[in-house]
Amino acid sequence: MMKRNFLDEPAPANYVAGLGRGATGFTTRSDIGPAREGPSEEAIKAALARRAEALGQAPPTAYGADKKKDDDDDDDDRFQDPENEVGLFAGGAYDEDDDEADRIYQGVDEKMEKRRKSRREAREKAEREEYERKNPKIQHQFADLKRGLETLTDDDWASLPEVGDLTGRNRRARQAMRQKFYPTPDSVLVNAAGSQFETSVQDEGTATASADTADGTMTNFVDIGKAKTKVLEARLDRSGGDSVTGATNIDPKGYLTSLNRSTTQTAEQVGDIKRVRELLQSVIKTNPKHGPGWIAAARLEEVAGKMVQARSLIAQGCEHCPKNEDVWLEAMRLNDPANAKIIVADAVRHNPKSVKLWVEAMELETELRAKKRVLRKALDIIPHSVVLWKEAVKLEEDPADAKILLARAVELVPLSIELWLALARLETFENAQAVLNKARKAVPTSPEIWIAAARLQEQQGNANKVNVMKRAVQALARVEAMPTREDWIKEAEICEEEGATETCQAIIRETLGWQLEEDDDRKKIWMDDAEASTSRGKYETARAIYAYALRVFLVKKSIWRAAADLEKNHGTKEALWNVLEKAVEACPQSEVLWMMLAKEKWQAGDIDGARIVLGKAFNQNPNNEDIWLAAVKLEAENTQHAAARDLLATARREAGTDRVWIKSVAFERQQGNTDAALDLVNHGLQLYPKADKLWMMKGQIYEADGRLPPAREAYNTGTKACPTSVPLWLLLSRLEEQAGVLVRARSVLDRARLAVPKSAQLWCESVRVERRANNTSQAKTLMAKALQECPHSGLLWAESIWYLEQRTHRRPRLVEAIEKVGNDPILYVAVARNFWVERKLPKAISWFEKAILVDPDYGDTWAWYWKFLSMHGTEEKRGDVLNKLSITEPRHGEVWQRVAKHPGARYRNPEEILEAVVKELE
Amino acid sequence: MGSVVLPHLKTGWHVDQAIMSEDDRLVVIRFGRDWDPDCMRQDEILYRIADKVKNFAVVYLCDIDEVPDFNKMYELYDPLTIMFFFRNKHMMCDFGTGNNNKMNWVLEDKQELIDIIETIYKGARKGRGLVVSPKDYSTRYRY
Repeated sequence: MMKRNFLDEPAPANYVAGLGRGATGFTTRSDIGPAREGPSEEAIKAALARRAEALGQAPPTAYGADKKKDDDDDDDDRFQDPENEVGLFAGGAYDEDDDEADRIYQGVDEKMEKRRKSRREAREKAEREEYERKNPKIQHQFADLKRGLETLTDDDWASLPEVGDLTGRNRRARQAMRQKFYPTPDSVLVNAAGSQFETSVQDEGTATASADTADGTMTNFVDIGKAKTKVLEARLDRSGGDSVTGATNIDPKGYLTSLNRSTTQTAEQVGDIKRVRELLQSVIKTNPKHGPGWIAAARLEEVAGKMVQARSLIAQGCEHCPKNEDVWLEAMRLNDPANAKIIVADAVRHNPKSVKLWVEAMELETELRAKKRVLRKALDIIPHSVVLWKEAVKLEEDPADAKILLARAVELVPLSIELWLALARLETFENAQAVLNKARKAVPTSPEIWIAAARLQEQQGNANKVNVMKRAVQALARVEAMPTREDWIKEAEICEEEGATETCQAIIRETLGWQLEEDDDRKKIWMDDAEASTSRGKYETARAIYAYALRVFLVKKSIWRAAADLEKNHGTKEALWNVLEKAVEACPQSEVLWMMLAKEKWQAGDIDGARIVLGKAFNQNPNNEDIWLAAVKLEAENTQHAAARDLLATARREAGTDRVWIKSVAFERQQGNTDAALDLVNHGLQLYPKADKLWMMKGQIYEADGRLPPAREAYNTGTKACPTSVPLWLLLSRLEEQAGVLVRARSVLDRARLAVPKSAQLWCESVRVERRANNTSQAKTLMAKALQECPHSGLLWAESIWYLEQRTHRRPRLVEAIEKVGNDPILYVAVARNFWVERKLPKAISWFEKAILVDPDYGDTWAWYWKFLSMHGTEEKRGDVLNKLSITEPRHGEVWQRVAKHPGARYRNPEEILEAVVKELE
Repeated sequence: MGSVVLPHLKTGWHVDQAIMSEDDRLVVIRFGRDWDPDCMRQDEILYRIADKVKNFAVVYLCDIDEVPDFNKMYELYDPLTIMFFFRNKHMMCDFGTGNNNKMNWVLEDKQELIDIIETIYKGARKGRGLVVSPKDYSTRYRY
């Protein structure tokens, strides 16, 4: 055993263990003791004290530290809370100054402690009590109850109910537990079937069935099948009503509804009725003077099918509540008419003032005279009832008698407008006037009387002479009973409905401007009113509103156009011409109105009239290109080619816009004058080198002639001049593709995409080029890129789904596309075609119509729809679509534009274009 | 018997010196009380192996009542604690007991003790601070 020499040496004084070594401690488990870093504070302090002792000084003391000086067991600190250490600064050097300061502070604290000690303690105690009173511990709150618990036995504790699982977390699992389904055993089915048929149908098979299944080991499938057929037969028999004779008497129309009605009362319904019956019994017992209770009880019996009980109940009800007319009415309803008459006699004896009962009594009578007698009696008792008077007048056949009755009635009930109006209607003109005057005096706040007066005048044919409505407005305004504008419009519409157009117009004329301020909100309000009336089908009212609006706003183009639209859609041709002529007079600067007028005239076959109109338009708006072009179109369509050419020449001279040039070229092309067209194009391009359409036309002219190199040059120059024109790029690429130079077509499209990024059409063309060249894989890669670039293009999605997807994958992809793109006619058509392929025809129709709704201007949609309808549609559907087509006149669409603008063909109307487009569709 | 023969460390300074004086050997210190039965049993074993491991380890005993300086630092609350130091570094060893800092149970198998000391020594030579004991001493293998 080797021994080290340090073992024999004494330890140096005041050595702090571990300090010289730089030892660090550790914390294995924080509940055993706090983490320690190096030698403990006490060890250092003790060392300091020892050193001080050695030097002969008083040991440094922190106040209170020496007081709680413990025995040698200083391990107490190990139970200290490691989160909340104390004496953090105890490690610092502690000198005499600190000691003195500590002592002074201690003195101050002791002094403060002593001051007002008793009072402070009293206050603190009060505060503590107050706090405890305000925030009582639950323990204290239930102290008395807790004491009561000592009487409980062990059994009581043991029989405490289990707490249910009220948390929501396991609810689904619990419900699933409750809902368990077990297959019904066959024996149950057979038994049920057997028992059912023993009562309802004479049957010989089921008797043996129960015998067969008695042992329970064998299942007789034959019997189960038989039972099933029996059920079906029974159901058919029941729907047939009578099967004993074997004759079927099923009403084919009412078959389904009668099935609905023949519901049997299920067990739970019966249970409900029983429970409700008890409830209602208690209601009528506890509160027999309560009428509705009796009624409900009687109705319940009626529903349960026990009419006798229902009647007896309601009879008791009548005894108990003789003043309740509802109970009496219910009693009459439940009894047959003969008994009802007796009941009603009782009823009116008890309630002589009840109008309802009297009317009911009158209706129960079958003879006219008896009815009259009842009413007379009633009127004797209740002379001020309007209802009774009206019934009485209705019963009179002779107008003279009715008049007398009404005269008496208005005397007794002067406030009833209806009676006054009825009387006026029966009188002659002069008397009616007098009657209405009287009525007006009796009821000065009623606009109805004024309207009646106005209509009276109209009937007499002097509506223009006497302006009743004007006086009406004044009078009503005086008594402050002026209805709102909307009410007046409603009245006007009623007048229109009943054929009193002049009154309707008069009402609008006098009241439309009522209480509207003189600002330009009025225009909008009136337009809205007119549109609302139009949509309700009240064209006269709308017309009157427009007329009034135009009188106020003479030079507003929008109102004129709205009025013209109204006439065009719902009026006569003459009225439309009238309106339009007035409109162009009022707003001669509006070329739209002029064009509308010219078009109307032309469509009516009045070509000269149209020419005159256009001539007038020229006078008012010289050099307007729209009018020039309209004139050219007019001449061209009427085969006046020379005149058209002259006009175009003048137009080019006078109003030489690029559009005029384009139209000129198009005209020459249509006429087949290639050379003239070329001349014009070249000329035009000198003037407008940025007009892409001119470049396109130039190329197309060459292409039509089969001269590909100049065509290519034209397109190339065009793309340089207008690099953002997508159609030009497309034409160039197609030209290259036709020439068979696929590589060049690709490079053209690449350049185009550089010039016009994010263009769905260009991407689509690229994909199609690949597809046409049978490069499906290349097409797919391109499509992926394209969809990344333009993710919201319906065109691209439709192309990709229709040509690059398998048929089974189309549907999910379409769903995805619709989510991404939203409303897009091309996409919708793709969806519709998919349904068409899948033979889901109604769905296809609905999607086609959706597509048309989204963009009615897109011709391709119409074409596809037409193609679909010509295979699967009905005749009326096709007619309907054609009608809509000629109204909307679509202009756009990929195939549609190509066909419609083809220079060789000329179509007169959209239908011809449609047929041509359908032929073009693949 | 062992507690008489094995060298005792009388003060904190001696402990520090013992730890610091060894450059190439493991210092094994048994903290405890000489009269404690556990300590007596363990000291016997330590004494028996001390000569066998003398080339790479030295064994000291320290009475925690006489030298209370490290009681808190090293959490010396058990009747018996054996700790290992190498070049003034506290060596830890994963015995599977949850306390890697020390052995606080009586290990009466001499070979196992030698193995542990050797393993710790090997790890210490390689600069490790924590080594894994050759045998798992967690309670689940006791039965």
